[in-house]
Amino acid sequence: MSYIDFRSVNKSFGHNQVLRQINLSVEKGQLATLLGPSGCGKSTLLRCLAGLEEVNSGSIILDGEDITGKNPKDRNIGMVFQQYSLFPNMTVKDNIAFGLRLQKIPKDLIEEKVKRVIDLVDLKGKIKEYPQELSGGQQQRVALARSLVMEPKVLLLDEPLSALDAKLRKNLQAEIKKIHADTGITMLFVTHDQDEAMILSDVIHLFKDGQIEQSGVPTKLYTQPETRYAAEFIGHYNVLDKSEFDRMIGSGGESEIVIRNVQPCTSVAIRPETIEILAENDSDNQGIESASETHDRYMLPATVVDSTLHGNVLRYTFDVRGTRLHSDVLFRSFTLYPAGHKLMLSVEKRNCLRM
Amino acid sequence: MKRSKSGPVTVVVVSLYLLIPLLMTLVYSVFSKWSDILPEGFTLKYYWELFSDASFGVSLMRTVLISVMPIILTALVVLLAMYVIILYLPGLEKYIRILCTIPYAIQGVILAVSVLSLYSNAPGILSNRTLLLTGTYCVAILPYMYQGIQSSLLAVNAPRLIEAAQMLGAGRLYAFFRVVVPNILSGVIISAMLSASIIFGDFVIANTLGGNYFETAQIYLYQTLFASGQKTSAVIMVLFLLTLFISLIAFSLKKKERRQG
Amino acid sequence: MKKRKYYLAALIPFLILVTLFEILPLIMVIIRSFMPENAVGLTLAHYAHIFSTRLYQQAVINSVLVSAVSSVIGIAVAYLGAKAVYEGGPLLKHFFKTVLSLTSNFAGIPLAFAYIILLGKVGVLVLWGKMAGISALSDFNLYSIRGLLIVYIYFQIPLATLLMIPSFDAIRREWKESVSIMGGSSFTFWTKVGLPALRPAILGTISVLFANALAAYATAYALLQNNFSLIPIRLSEQFVGDITQHKEFGSALAVVLMVLMVALILINDAILKKGPLLSRSSRKNKEDES
Repeated sequence: MSYIDFRSVNKSFGHNQVLRQINLSVEKGQLATLLGPSGCGKSTLLRCLAGLEEVNSGSIILDGEDITGKNPKDRNIGMVFQQYSLFPNMTVKDNIAFGLRLQKIPKDLIEEKVKRVIDLVDLKGKIKEYPQELSGGQQQRVALARSLVMEPKVLLLDEPLSALDAKLRKNLQAEIKKIHADTGITMLFVTHDQDEAMILSDVIHLFKDGQIEQSGVPTKLYTQPETRYAAEFIGHYNVLDKSEFDRMIGSGGESEIVIRNVQPCTSVAIRPETIEILAENDSDNQGIESASETHDRYMLPATVVDSTLHGNVLRYTFDVRGTRLHSDVLFRSFTLYPAGHKLMLSVEKRNCLRM
Repeated sequence: MKRSKSGPVTVVVVSLYLLIPLLMTLVYSVFSKWSDILPEGFTLKYYWELFSDASFGVSLMRTVLISVMPIILTALVVLLAMYVIILYLPGLEKYIRILCTIPYAIQGVILAVSVLSLYSNAPGILSNRTLLLTGTYCVAILPYMYQGIQSSLLAVNAPRLIEAAQMLGAGRLYAFFRVVVPNILSGVIISAMLSASIIFGDFVIANTLGGNYFETAQIYLYQTLFASGQKTSAVIMVLFLLTLFISLIAFSLKKKERRQG
Repeated sequence: MKKRKYYLAALIPFLILVTLFEILPLIMVIIRSFMPENAVGLTLAHYAHIFSTRLYQQAVINSVLVSAVSSVIGIAVAYLGAKAVYEGGPLLKHFFKTVLSLTSNFAGIPLAFAYIILLGKVGVLVLWGKMAGISALSDFNLYSIRGLLIVYIYFQIPLATLLMIPSFDAIRREWKESVSIMGGSSFTFWTKVGLPALRPAILGTISVLFANALAAYATAYALLQNNFSLIPIRLSEQFVGDITQHKEFGSALAVVLMVLMVALILINDAILKKGPLLSRSSRKNKEDES
């Protein structure tokens, strides 16, 4: 049995059903992420685990115990919120010691624990300050410290980094990963940012409209999305209708080598980085109008529409027989193909995922 | 963008228009005669008269008492109600807001006579004038206290704070009084000061319900109106300074709050 | 697991307070206004009496007149003052707001008294007027509707201005700049862009001013006692004073006053809701015709 078990959890707000028959497990020590767009139910599930929302039906098991009806304060779960929710009238130290003081732990033990957790989140020297005097990143670290010092069974993080700017986010992502490695605590993380999910998680659960669309380790989710929704959410997939795809490869029928033979196949997804641009020095690329197939690759004649630079990645937009395709290449060379230029593209058949 | 020249002129003109009556009253209170262009006979005797009049001091104390009681009561009552609303029944907030806005429409004389006509012949404690006066003032300041408490709760994001406290092991009631209330205290006090100046300056409710039973400073003022002009202006200045003092407290609190937040 | 709803107890004090001193009095007043004096039953006699008797007709007319005029003048001055602050610097704003807050408390008996020493029978300005031969001042009668109006205008100004100043903050600099780039003058800006944008604030403030003036008692009482017909004065008479009590009739007066106070709020809401739609639909009609 897993450390955390959601069994057939349903939750509605009025007529709006937000969680539908959720079955989800989290292993001890895992950093699991609930990923999805706004309104898909991921935060609600987190809050149900915290006890801040009551489930309509189903049960939640934590460490072998059914906690479905329990008060939040009795669940021994820590939570970090998007707006930090630090207590403005208390210093950093008082904020962190708040929960410990409630448990009537002796003073010197409190001092020790507070000191240890402040080192853990790298907040030395800020102990006497008030939340308003700290930066966003520092405030979030206080929020983390405040929850961690209670040594909870699970730490919940509800989009904790969404209020921070890009650079700060990167720093704190690394910090959270480090804290997870140091403490080994089970963490449940909610975000709508798929890059963040990729960086942090041991496991990702992708949400859609109150249900889990797909679960898996980051690389699996990234390289093998199972549905159109998943492909559109993760990475920068080219997602084409089956008809568009067929028109593009120029054949009417199915090709042989596929990773998944999904029936019925309505969409095909292709990762941009798997589309190769053949070297330009074959002088007979002009006049090749028809696509050809080799045993395991498609060859596609394409015209450059435009190109954009994303950091060190060059993204081309191609037109292949009326279908738009994006291709990402690492910007190694100096060549930038202008619009209107004709090229040949090559993609492995197994990288065309059918769904 | 050019700064218009007429701006400061307008402000100065209006300010003068507003300040002159006030200044006149001050001048009137320190001169014994004004039958010519300028007043004559600078004296502070009217203030002496005032401070040696025991009934003034007593009426002032009554005013202070009848201001403090309703404020504390209303603050507690509204805080308790907001506790329930925020934590358990957020849907009811609309109705509480309506109940706290009605006093605007029945302010002053309407409220006073309604309460009087209902309870003047009531049995037992309900006909006690001091009680009626307190209760009526409580309702009269309800919109201001509610508004102040509500916006403070909103500003500090009370529900989120309580949730954070819960996750750290606190019960809801403890969280409300230990975490939320300290942070809205300055907002509450500002509303309290506003309410105090309203009660200080009220005449109609005090006269209708208190009348001879509970003479407040305003009633004393009204009676002085027909006695001595200069004494009246002295009373006015004293009351005005008191109200000013209250506003200054509120103002300095606002500044402190802004610096903190 | 059903949790006991102990927390509801915290609502009780609030409910008691509101019921005893807000709801019950209100309901009683409304009911009583329809009851005949010293009898049981329902009647509209009191309302009829109000609108047919000269004394009370006058009270209604005077109240509405004084409130309306003082509100309009008050908001006009407030508009100019708030505009001046908006176009001025922070120092000016701070100074003006201080003066306004200071004088907003100056109302009721103190205000009436101040005007008595200024413009009363032997008021300072009247004396100066006599000496300088300015008949406007020397012959000024404070104890008339004109005098009352002047005093009412005084206490409307700080309230109105303090309410209007924040609304001007909503007027963005970019709007002004766009208008001047398109060749419009300052006048064009204020008439075509500024005032329409301020309209909700102006209407809202007028409501507050109107209600404020309608309910005002102490100022009028201090100045004119019972000699001038205003609704609050007549209303208070029915319950307090030397003459016998007329609770039921007084209640009817109270209801009339309440209705008047709420009426303007409702008219306001209607204007605000209709406003933009009105111009859109009339424009559409014109297009259809052409």
